[in-house]
Amino acid sequence: MTPALMGVLGYLVLGVLGFLTTRARLLSGIALLVGVTSFSLWFPGFPPDHLGLGIWAIPWQGDPLAAAFWGLSLFLHLILLLSERGWPRHFYALLTLLVGTILSLVLSLDLFNLYVSLELTSLIAFLLVGIEGRPAQVWASLKYLILTSCGMILYLLGVGFVYAKTGTLSLLEISSTISSGDLGLSLGVGLLVAGAAAKGGVFLLALWLPTAHGYAPSPVSALLSGLVVKMGIITLARLSTAFPIGNVLVAIGLVTGFLGVLHLFWEEDIKVFLAYSTMSQLGYILLGFGWEAWAGATAYGVAHGLFKALLFLAAGRAETEGRSRHISKLAGRLCTGTRLSLGVGTLAIVGLPPFIGYGAKGLLSSAAPPWGKWALFVLTLGTAASFTKLLPSIIRGKKAGMADGPPLLLSAAIFGGGLFLLIREPALRSFPLLLSTVGAIIAGGIVSPLMRKLPVSLPRWRLDESFLAFLFSAALLALWFLVR
Amino acid sequence: MEVLATAALGVALVVLGFGALVLRRLLIWKLLGLNVASGGAILFLVSLSYRPGGKPPLIGFPAGIPSADPLPQALVLTAIVIHFATLALSLAYAVSLAEQLHTQEAERIEEATEEEMER
Repeated sequence: MTPALMGVLGYLVLGVLGFLTTRARLLSGIALLVGVTSFSLWFPGFPPDHLGLGIWAIPWQGDPLAAAFWGLSLFLHLILLLSERGWPRHFYALLTLLVGTILSLVLSLDLFNLYVSLELTSLIAFLLVGIEGRPAQVWASLKYLILTSCGMILYLLGVGFVYAKTGTLSLLEISSTISSGDLGLSLGVGLLVAGAAAKGGVFLLALWLPTAHGYAPSPVSALLSGLVVKMGIITLARLSTAFPIGNVLVAIGLVTGFLGVLHLFWEEDIKVFLAYSTMSQLGYILLGFGWEAWAGATAYGVAHGLFKALLFLAAGRAETEGRSRHISKLAGRLCTGTRLSLGVGTLAIVGLPPFIGYGAKGLLSSAAPPWGKWALFVLTLGTAASFTKLLPSIIRGKKAGMADGPPLLLSAAIFGGGLFLLIREPALRSFPLLLSTVGAIIAGGIVSPLMRKLPVSLPRWRLDESFLAFLFSAALLALWFLVR
Repeated sequence: MEVLATAALGVALVVLGFGALVLRRLLIWKLLGLNVASGGAILFLVSLSYRPGGKPPLIGFPAGIPSADPLPQALVLTAIVIHFATLALSLAYAVSLAEQLHTQEAERIEEATEEEMER
């Protein structure tokens, strides 16, 4: 555990130093080196160990989930360092601190340590969303702040209830006593789940997500969608090791997946479109953890981190090159490199083999119950149908400006990761799985024009509406736990 | 009995704060509501360290006498710092919005920013 601790501490110290010097980007690079060294020393994992002394020690564990997210965080940090120049120095300092916090969060197995790390990632994310100071971004960030803070207040109440009933905060020591019908404990777990879900981009609890991810500067959106929002989901996964909440995760995963896809059809702003797609993709990950298919859910988390980062970076370029955020106005205006990135991202997100999206979806599908395979089929169909909207901008455009380093590196990871999964997992090479995936994608392409002709006006999630939706669904979750 | 009353008061403050977030139109009131709610959560948490007849848990405290539970107190300290940082940041953002858009009403800010992104 010591190397992991050193890596986290190194990141945090270098992040703080970044505020004091002018060479924040260089310090961020050094932090990345420290992180990679630390990761190579503790990979592939370490057993649960305690940080600190006595009964208040914080348990840390380097399991495959933590290892996968360390790899993803370090890789995305590298991509952003390579692709982003000319930001003010506190951008790089905040980036370092954010990655450092995430590295510590994924290792933690302690309710309160998770709370502190979650709040810290949120605080840094608020600063990053509003870093350019434009009113729309500041307002998006403020909505993000208000809604996640309310979620975290519920989480804190949940910590109180669970601590009062069990006398410990360590998820390792909390045994599954919730079935004994203790009302206080059930309510506490319900509040914990609602709080973590509000942070983790779950539909109706986290309607800050479309504007926060949609209006933030593009590299920040890439980081938020690829990494930060999954911290809430990881918290839910950690909670599911101590409390029997699998059914709840499946239920909120389905709601998030389908409502997210529904919004995708009629959203025209390219970055808000990608933000809603993040919500629907989080549904897959939640379903995976709900079915206790940890390998599939982890693979999906990493896969989504890679292709959504690529899509958001490309969307940022598209916005500049096309001088618009409107998807229908982008066709014919984009350069080759941007179109290539958008294309690879789209193919990966709909799950076409051999890209990494296919491998991750296949792993989930092979661990799903029979009805779950159908749910995944419909979700894939919906994703494919909505992403056909990007096709005109990908196909038609200028023949200039090839892709440069960072997008190519991301594309290589998406392709290579997919091949790696295909070679390692024989289940992915089965004919029915291939057929159903390709079938869903083709069916999606056919359905798409029909769906988009329907005159539907979706709700605009303003602060008050989002907050009422949050209260409503949190009450619903608490009620579910109380009645059981 | 006192501990139950204090815990209930904490939960009531959370409800009150959330109510202000829904009912008030001005941003500054909403942020104050948020702060009241986080104060409620803190009150709830610190009430858990109560032990009947307990003394403050200090180093060098003689064994055998009941002492208050130190863990919730440590948690509350951390939570207070986090809530302070959140409040400070949200007020700074509210000031920035008020300066740029000349309004404090949530609905008007919402409309102005939507127009900004439509362009």
